[in-house]
Amino acid sequence: MSGENQGGAIVPYSEEAKKPVVYPLRHGLKPPISRLGISWSRGNSLRVTVFRQPSEDSENEVGGKAVEVRLDGRDGEISDAQWRRIAYGSVSPFALLQSRKNSFASLSKISSTTSPFDAEWWEYVLEYSKDISSLLGNQTSTTQSLIEDPKEVLKKDPEPSNLKAAWELMESFYADKLSQAWLPERLVDWLADYDSLFSSTQETVHSKLVDFQKDLVSLQVIEDEPKYWEVMSSALAVGWLDIVVKLLRLHGSYQLDQLGNRETENGLVEAVAVLISKMPRMRPELEAGKLGECFKAKPDFMKAWEKWRAQIAKLECSTFWIQCAHRQTQEGLRNMLQIMLGNTNNLCTLTCHWMELYIAHFLYIRPFTVGLESMYGLAQKCIQLKPMAASHRLMGLLIGILGENIEVVLAECSKGFGPWMVTHAIEVLTAGSHQADTLLHEERDNLGGISMEELHRLVYAQVLSSHPLTWQIAPIYLTSCIKQGMGLLEMLLYKQPVDHNQLLLKNLEICRLYELDSVSSNIMKIAGMYNWKHGKKGSGVYWLQQARDEARLNRIAQQMFDSVGRSISDENFRQWEGLIQLLGSEPKTAGGLEFLHNYRDFKKSLLQIRDGKTTDAARQAVESLISLKLLNWEERPLLNVLQTNLLLNKLQELSIARLRPDFIEADLPPHALSSVRLALATNLGRTTLEEQ
Amino acid sequence: MAITGVRTPPQVHRFPQSKYIDAVRWLPPLSPLSKLAVLAIYDTDADSPSLETHSISLPASLTPHSQWTPPTRISSLSTSHQSLVAASTLSGSLHVLSSAMQVLLSVDENSGFHVGPISGVDLTGSECVSVGEDGRVNLVSVIGGGEFKRVYDGNGLVGFNCVKWASPTEFVTGGFGYGLQWWDLRRAGSGGPVLQFKGNFGSQGKASGMIHSVDIHPSRKHTCLAGGSSGTVFAWDLRWQQQSIVLSGVGTGEAVTHSLSESEVWEVQYDCHTKSSNISSSRVLPAMFCSEDGILAVVEQGEEPFELLAEPCAINSFDIDPQNPSDVICSLEWESIAIVSRP
Repeated sequence: MSGENQGGAIVPYSEEAKKPVVYPLRHGLKPPISRLGISWSRGNSLRVTVFRQPSEDSENEVGGKAVEVRLDGRDGEISDAQWRRIAYGSVSPFALLQSRKNSFASLSKISSTTSPFDAEWWEYVLEYSKDISSLLGNQTSTTQSLIEDPKEVLKKDPEPSNLKAAWELMESFYADKLSQAWLPERLVDWLADYDSLFSSTQETVHSKLVDFQKDLVSLQVIEDEPKYWEVMSSALAVGWLDIVVKLLRLHGSYQLDQLGNRETENGLVEAVAVLISKMPRMRPELEAGKLGECFKAKPDFMKAWEKWRAQIAKLECSTFWIQCAHRQTQEGLRNMLQIMLGNTNNLCTLTCHWMELYIAHFLYIRPFTVGLESMYGLAQKCIQLKPMAASHRLMGLLIGILGENIEVVLAECSKGFGPWMVTHAIEVLTAGSHQADTLLHEERDNLGGISMEELHRLVYAQVLSSHPLTWQIAPIYLTSCIKQGMGLLEMLLYKQPVDHNQLLLKNLEICRLYELDSVSSNIMKIAGMYNWKHGKKGSGVYWLQQARDEARLNRIAQQMFDSVGRSISDENFRQWEGLIQLLGSEPKTAGGLEFLHNYRDFKKSLLQIRDGKTTDAARQAVESLISLKLLNWEERPLLNVLQTNLLLNKLQELSIARLRPDFIEADLPPHALSSVRLALATNLGRTTLEEQ
Repeated sequence: MAITGVRTPPQVHRFPQSKYIDAVRWLPPLSPLSKLAVLAIYDTDADSPSLETHSISLPASLTPHSQWTPPTRISSLSTSHQSLVAASTLSGSLHVLSSAMQVLLSVDENSGFHVGPISGVDLTGSECVSVGEDGRVNLVSVIGGGEFKRVYDGNGLVGFNCVKWASPTEFVTGGFGYGLQWWDLRRAGSGGPVLQFKGNFGSQGKASGMIHSVDIHPSRKHTCLAGGSSGTVFAWDLRWQQQSIVLSGVGTGEAVTHSLSESEVWEVQYDCHTKSSNISSSRVLPAMFCSEDGILAVVEQGEEPFELLAEPCAINSFDIDPQNPSDVICSLEWESIAIVSRP
């Protein structure tokens, strides 16, 4: 992963990426095509615009077409919808683990004695790992028929996925500290669950069993069939004991009508079946239905193992074999004993690829293997003896893990399983070792000062951001990136469309959660202007008010001022009521639009004057007028002749009223009356001119 | 958030859909053993909307029944007791369908119906009212053959988000600035709403908010239930027009004691399943809401709120089954449907 061998690439990419991929375009246009335009569309899609050469003879033809081409780099195993489901589901476990990590970090700051790697922490990581694993599909089938078919030796499991298999490997080796003592047995289980994944590229024990299962129904005398013995031995070699015992009991000598004359033969078959089911296993427990005897402590296990081997050896030398008349049974059973005695040649021929041979070694040759180093050595040996027909991403990952090379593990995760896997597996990896922890958290100059962990999170966040349904969960990952996360989050939020209120509000909600007030207010400004320009004046004003954008509100006020002046009629003004209502009574949030309030008040007063109400109304009108600053408006007359005359009359009344003793002085500015009078006179002049 | 009270937690059934669900509504069932719901679906990858009915038999199955493809994405959905479905689109068209997804009538967006998206639609009997951010309020009669009647045109100076009938001649709308408007068709000549209310729940950071959903109980048409920004759920009683009763929210009003959500309340409905201990006519009936921060809860005046769901993603829409009010269907942001069955 260092700069040299990746040619300076920040994200490792596979060799396969260099091969050209052909995407057929279905534009349905008649040739000749004259021009092509290619641009990025949303996410992983290209927008290709195809233009036809305009020709006279085909006027009805479409001149061009834009098509989207999805560049699908993902494996076909998991559909986009499934990926999204995984992405949604991993949000909560990831966020929970991060918050626990943060509280652990703050705890260890207080007392230096608590290390984040103590027992409690393992449990959290394991819980996280199990949560993630459960998202990747159920491993055991829940629907089991009540009546068991004796001839169904292989249970139809729901299709296992490579992703799940990869995650289980990571969990066994890094997250589950309790399994460290019995890793070989975990690998036995792992292969039992996922051997079918290798069947597509080569023969496996699983595929042999599947084939045999098909023939089973039509077989009359099963023990005469050499394939029966071969398949059983293969299954025994990889430790699928329950299947072997089930197959053994299909042996003809168990049939009631034959029991009498094949007694010895049947005794031998049963003896082998019992020995198989009593096999000592170095593990705490076995799933229901699985065979073997579990031992937790090594000394007990060794003792039991020696005893078991002695029993096999004893049976091997037994004289009963001579009395067994059925040749295939005799040979088949002795072959199976050889497997259990760890005959390398037998194991090598009966297994199909190195992983199966590897498991057989753990089971029958080196049952006391401990430690990754010796496991790695054994793996190398098996790969030499029985290489795989084609390279497989799971094998690459396993070898990386066994080789204790964190960088290889990361690269294999990234190459084989994509950004989701790396981002989430890092949590398990860093919990697994101090070495990984340092490696992943170290700030690197060649990555622009960020750590590998942050890099992979950012890459994953980019993937999430590129889809309209997953962008909302990108912030969870971005905010866990200390250096670049917030900057990218702001960019992400600004990039979201503002044309639909619901989306806009979802966007603003994220701003609220992460206390990005300035981003939020900018987005509201953008939304305000967008709505204003699209004729939705009400929502435009609303958003600008929310953003407390006085500058823009003032500019809008200027425009409004113009249109209010022009559409002075009462019918039109009614529409404005709603907007005035929206502005609210708080002057500070309305900006320049405050004038609308005054204008409305003025109109109201004018109405009252016309109805011949008190002089008070006239005063209000004057006040409104002054605050409106409408008086010195140059462009057009504001009021018509009738309205102006009415107002002038009322002003006259007001000045006369002043002379009366009971007059209460209104707090009008000095010279207000005269300036209003002057303005009204000017207005009258202009109106008269206009109306003539 | 802890579930308060000692009530039995409801059973929750989840159905991942792999497509975005814009809205959900119950429909009268086709058979006694199953339920029927209509889903407004949007397939983001194919950029294709659809309206689908699904029959549901609990605990485990959700089977597609019939389907119709609208011209654009569905913006609002309403069902009536006569199993009619009204769906409005983002491009501004309105469609009324039968529960078998047969189109009974369509109002084209090019007929001058609305400008831009229709944000709210409500269907009752044979009348459908639609509102938009363009400030238009239109009436469409189901038996009228696609003609519409303009009730009001706000010319974009005002905008509405939601609408709900109160009686055959009255309805309520909600919009910006926590604004509610009461309309009376008998007094339509006045050219505007008969009554208006502007909520003032502004808390420190926020100037104002929006109303996203309104509901009116058939037996108490004088009380409008409204839900909107900042987790606000309140009731506006026409008999006391100037004030409101806050049921939930982060506002600073003295009545606010409980707030389950601080985010957008997307939908509110009166909850007839929750039996109120106090049935005085001055008290607001129990209400259910769903929110952007993933809460589905029941709130009641003067009572502890009761949380039915707390999801890690938004709950965008819900509907209480009118036939069997213990069942609630909701659509979750993460492309799935949840059905909550209350004991």
